[in-house]
Amino acid sequence: MYRKFLNARSPLRLLEKGLHGGLGPGNLGIVVGGPGVGKASFLVGVALDELLRSGRVLHVSMAHTVAHIRDHYDTVFEELAASARLENGTQVHVDVDRNRSIRVYPKHALTPEKLREAVKVESETTGPPSMVLIEGLDFKETSREDLADFKALAGELAAEVWMSVSYSKEQIAELPASVARVEDLVSVALALEPGEDAVVLRALKDHDNPDLTELHVALDPKTLLLTRH
Amino acid sequence: MIHDLTTIRNIGISAHIDSGKTTLTERILFYTGRIHAIHEVKGKDDVGATMDSMELERERGITIQSAATHTIWDKHHINIIDTPGHVDFTIEVERALRVLDGAVLVLCGVAGVQSQSMTVDRQMRRYKVPRMAFINKLDRSGANPLRVTEQLREKLSHNAVLMQLPIGLEANFKGVIDLVAMKAIYFEGDNGEHVVTNEIPEEMRDEAEIARESMLDAVSMFSDELMEAILEETVTEALIHDAVRKGTLSMDLTPVFLGSAYKNKGVQKLLDAVNRYLPSPLDGENTGVDLSNEEAPLALASDPNKPTVALAFKLEDGRYGQLTYVRVYQGSLEKGGTIINSRTKKKHKVGRLVRMHADSMQDIESSSAGDIVALFGIDCASGDTFTDESVQISMTSMHVPEPVISIAIKPIDNKTVDNMGKALGRFVREDPTFRSRVDPESNETVISGMGELHLDVYVERMKREYGCAVETGAPQVAYRETISQRADFNYTHKKQTGGSGQYGRVAGRIEPIVDGADDFEFVSEIKGGSIPTEYIPAVEKGFVQCMAKGRLIGFPVIGVRVVVDDGKSHSVDSSEMAFQAAGRGAFREAYGRAKPIVLEPVMKLEVEGPVDHQGAILKTIMQRRGTVIGTTESSGMSRIESEVPLSEMFGYATDLRSMTQGTAEFTMEFARYLPAPAEVQKELKEKFSSKIVDDDE
Repeated sequence: MYRKFLNARSPLRLLEKGLHGGLGPGNLGIVVGGPGVGKASFLVGVALDELLRSGRVLHVSMAHTVAHIRDHYDTVFEELAASARLENGTQVHVDVDRNRSIRVYPKHALTPEKLREAVKVESETTGPPSMVLIEGLDFKETSREDLADFKALAGELAAEVWMSVSYSKEQIAELPASVARVEDLVSVALALEPGEDAVVLRALKDHDNPDLTELHVALDPKTLLLTRH
Repeated sequence: MIHDLTTIRNIGISAHIDSGKTTLTERILFYTGRIHAIHEVKGKDDVGATMDSMELERERGITIQSAATHTIWDKHHINIIDTPGHVDFTIEVERALRVLDGAVLVLCGVAGVQSQSMTVDRQMRRYKVPRMAFINKLDRSGANPLRVTEQLREKLSHNAVLMQLPIGLEANFKGVIDLVAMKAIYFEGDNGEHVVTNEIPEEMRDEAEIARESMLDAVSMFSDELMEAILEETVTEALIHDAVRKGTLSMDLTPVFLGSAYKNKGVQKLLDAVNRYLPSPLDGENTGVDLSNEEAPLALASDPNKPTVALAFKLEDGRYGQLTYVRVYQGSLEKGGTIINSRTKKKHKVGRLVRMHADSMQDIESSSAGDIVALFGIDCASGDTFTDESVQISMTSMHVPEPVISIAIKPIDNKTVDNMGKALGRFVREDPTFRSRVDPESNETVISGMGELHLDVYVERMKREYGCAVETGAPQVAYRETISQRADFNYTHKKQTGGSGQYGRVAGRIEPIVDGADDFEFVSEIKGGSIPTEYIPAVEKGFVQCMAKGRLIGFPVIGVRVVVDDGKSHSVDSSEMAFQAAGRGAFREAYGRAKPIVLEPVMKLEVEGPVDHQGAILKTIMQRRGTVIGTTESSGMSRIESEVPLSEMFGYATDLRSMTQGTAEFTMEFARYLPAPAEVQKELKEKFSSKIVDDDE
């Protein structure tokens, strides 16, 4: 019951209506945004959405420390719990923590091989992830082969894999060149742009859907959850 | 007072147990003229090395306590702070590392980088202590400084650069080649006290040239000037020293020196290097917290003219009485001046200010920022901050965590009861996370602290230092109780049979405090005097009494808000006592219906070990009902952060050691209270109710 409440503010729920059923297992999704717009928060929101549906999330980062990422989760969770007036918040929070694993690597250190090793360790100790988030991957420097391999891993795990991609500008007119060159490997691409008092999320690519106009959502700039109306 | 702060070096010497740290320290004191004879460690002559002060430390080969000693080498003031090599004893380690500006990592030339060097090195990295290395014991058979340097690079990820080459090794170890000056250095005289500089032996010339070149390659990364000079072939010694210093301070370079302290070789050159390359107090950054602004971090300046801030990092009951070692971070301390303890707000007069030498002390008039000195006869706890009265600054947060584990102790020999009291008094003063009390029910002395090992160390110290061996009971975890839902109460306390009666009625509700920091809140919503104002504190008192011991498992109750909104009094029979009783009765009535649950202390556990052992480490955490928060991988090591219930952590050190062949280390501290799983709650409840039955019999 409470999970439904919480999900009411997840941007993904809304996107699922617009997107053809969300990202889908085995697929690669990316979120593109300028510096400081909140790509990390958005990924945390996506992860919580999965966690509250009893999924397992592996959050890989080359950008932040474990403590920093965890704080991020706690902030977004508390916001959700408060807006849903969650009664047994502590217990739900404990469950969420249990099903999430954070792994931090030095810059440029994550290869598909490393990720495979990590997934293996996770699977043997806590269980295989149903969603993998990759934060801080230098998309430009990542070869097509490696991206294809990340996608293959998504397929093997039947997991959704989300990546954040940094962009130098705030406004994103089209798929950045670093993504366009591997467009066929990416199923969903979303753009995050700062708006007046909200962050605007819109789709740059949605599977094979040619009409992207209806995907346009305003998000709270702090938590990247749907703004409250 | 030392006026030129650039001449102060506050250093630690850290090492694996058998690397010869004590011998090295002793030789340093000998060559700097502080002691006049050399003894061997754990001496055959029964004197022992000067720095090794505690018997426990000798027996275990570890240093738990830090002691500071001052010495002078080549116009530089060197304060040597003895660093604990023990990982689990967080507060001691933190304090000792905190007062250091730099460190010498001593490695055994035969055994090389061992697990404990890894631990100590990791801690130093965490506290951002720049360090250099000294490869010792080159006279021993099997010594190989090149291999040890390689290990520094591989196992500890240091950018280690040899600044010297050995002349001969093992039994033929004669001296070193200084790759900066390109000279051979020999140590002559009975105790190696004569440093003789000579030409490099012919047969080593090529080897030395090659080593110098690779040293220059590495070092020139830190100085454009040096890089240019290399190209133009105008390299000077000063340019090299300058670049090495830069690299060392930024912790991107670890210069490596060689020798054998036992055979009196290499120590003086190491001291030269300490002066040249390690930071002065002006090179580092120090921060305190501003008590007048919600403990916001505050940068301190090593400036003798600013308001005084000094940290008491160690207390010692020495043969001279109670000594307090302090590091002055800002401003100055003067004999006859007044200082105030930020924690207790007590004022103290600085009666005597002394500089501690290895075996004597020297009275001084004043001491300034950057220096380490000792105060006499100041009553304080270790970790306290002293300031002059103009500022409210503390070097550490005032927040002291509540102990999470207790054990009952009893002296084996009743004659040592007094000593036990003395020991406990001192430990409590030294360590704010350590507590001692007498349980009113069992009349036993109960000590509490932050973990099993924390208490073990004190039990051991009682035996060693105070001659008081104690028997210990089973460790007791500090559980808590709380309520999980709202419950109403309407309770009447009534005793009106003959004589003066008792009457009081209270009504209202108890409810959980959600994510609040408070353990207990009392709210009165009484309107129209249904309970007279003067009795309301009595009602609160009645509730507070019940919070001390919950009815579920007998542990304190936290996270409860009591709202009283109605009641009734009697003009004659109501009294404070009656309303206290009503409060207690109301709590009893409502508590059961508020779905009380048991909370257990959960520890933040950090384990660090080689990536290959990651799976094994994770298993030790999962087996203990742990939640893995995250893993950080870098240069072959994994650091795993997790939360584990304290009740599952007994014997963890042993288990982790065997699962990882001793390659992993852990630290643990209290994180928070969380609901215990149903089966644990059930077990605790059963234990509690059976105990009540026992008590009744």
